[in-house]
Amino acid sequence: MSDRTPPRPALLEGENVEIGQIGVAVGSGALKTFVGSCVGLVLHAQAQRAAALAHVMLPASNGRGTPPGKYADTAVPEAIRLLCEAVGEPGLACTAKLVGGAAMFAFRSGMPIGEQNVEALERILADLGIPITGRACGGGHGRRLAVDVVSGVVTIQTAGHGTEFLT
Amino acid sequence: MNPTSPDQFVSAFHRGAEDASAALSKWLGRPATLWVERLDALPIAEAVAVLGSGEEPICGSAMRIDGVVRGLLLLATADAAGLALADTLLERAVGTSVAWGDLERSAVVETANIVGCAYLNAICATLEPGGSEGILPSPPLFLRDFPASVMEAVLLEQPSPAETVLLARTEFRIDGTPVACGLVFLPDATGLTTPPHPAPETRGRQ
Repeated sequence: MSDRTPPRPALLEGENVEIGQIGVAVGSGALKTFVGSCVGLVLHAQAQRAAALAHVMLPASNGRGTPPGKYADTAVPEAIRLLCEAVGEPGLACTAKLVGGAAMFAFRSGMPIGEQNVEALERILADLGIPITGRACGGGHGRRLAVDVVSGVVTIQTAGHGTEFLT
Repeated sequence: MNPTSPDQFVSAFHRGAEDASAALSKWLGRPATLWVERLDALPIAEAVAVLGSGEEPICGSAMRIDGVVRGLLLLATADAAGLALADTLLERAVGTSVAWGDLERSAVVETANIVGCAYLNAICATLEPGGSEGILPSPPLFLRDFPASVMEAVLLEQPSPAETVLLARTEFRIDGTPVACGLVFLPDATGLTTPPHPAPETRGRQ
């Protein structure tokens, strides 16, 4: 058995969103990040050709909330707020995609933190009526993701598990 | 476990590197040296990048550590260096292994087990001389993934992820030549009381 894989296609270049941060872009370009147990939350506003990418680390802020991108419960409203601010509108219609939430180690008992992150985001998005149009979650491997700001297409690369697109 | 000073803390990790050097030399059957390249407190965003932020996967082995010292230990290496290490252990010409098969994985996992335990046992002995409780390592897991994804998962293995984490990074030299291989130890926030100030960057081989 081998993990060696063929060379990967080049991924979209764009702004890198660090752990716990939220990136927003309008009109062109891409937002990208690496995730393992964390979840990349992508919000895309088709009409405004705008996207936000939050690199969510934990499911609940429990009153901490800083930086807001770090926690699922603060990342979603903050990503929406930043998206609205970027396009200059008080509100907008958007869709969501979720990437990550892997369980790369099996050292801890109970629900893996990655799964908790995904569940929290799904619940919050449902409460806000934001449809989730694509998911690439779980498993035991990391992912590199990039969202094309105009189309909202998310390209996901892995180390040995192929490339996937969420359209 | 409460080191009384940053110096004692740094000294414990150097002692760990010395014992790990001896264990690795015996395991490989040739001279090998580990030294503490850095020992510092880092914000999460910087800690994620300590293994690099590129798209080239790294491979390695991770162990959960419980007992006197608690945390996560990771042996990480570039593909080529890891495969060369496997060839050395399997008594094959370096370059023979070109992919991660079962034998190559076992070689890396066993190396992490032997070197990691020597390293942490020495740290325990230095910080708590005469302590009766040792370390309890989990079975090591093989992994091959993006460096940032690996470090992120390591950080989230902490029972209560903190804003700043203490990381000890140890580099390798085999037959006098540096190899792209490192040992990273992330103590749980509650598993090892850190000095009042970030430990100074440490350099210099042991």
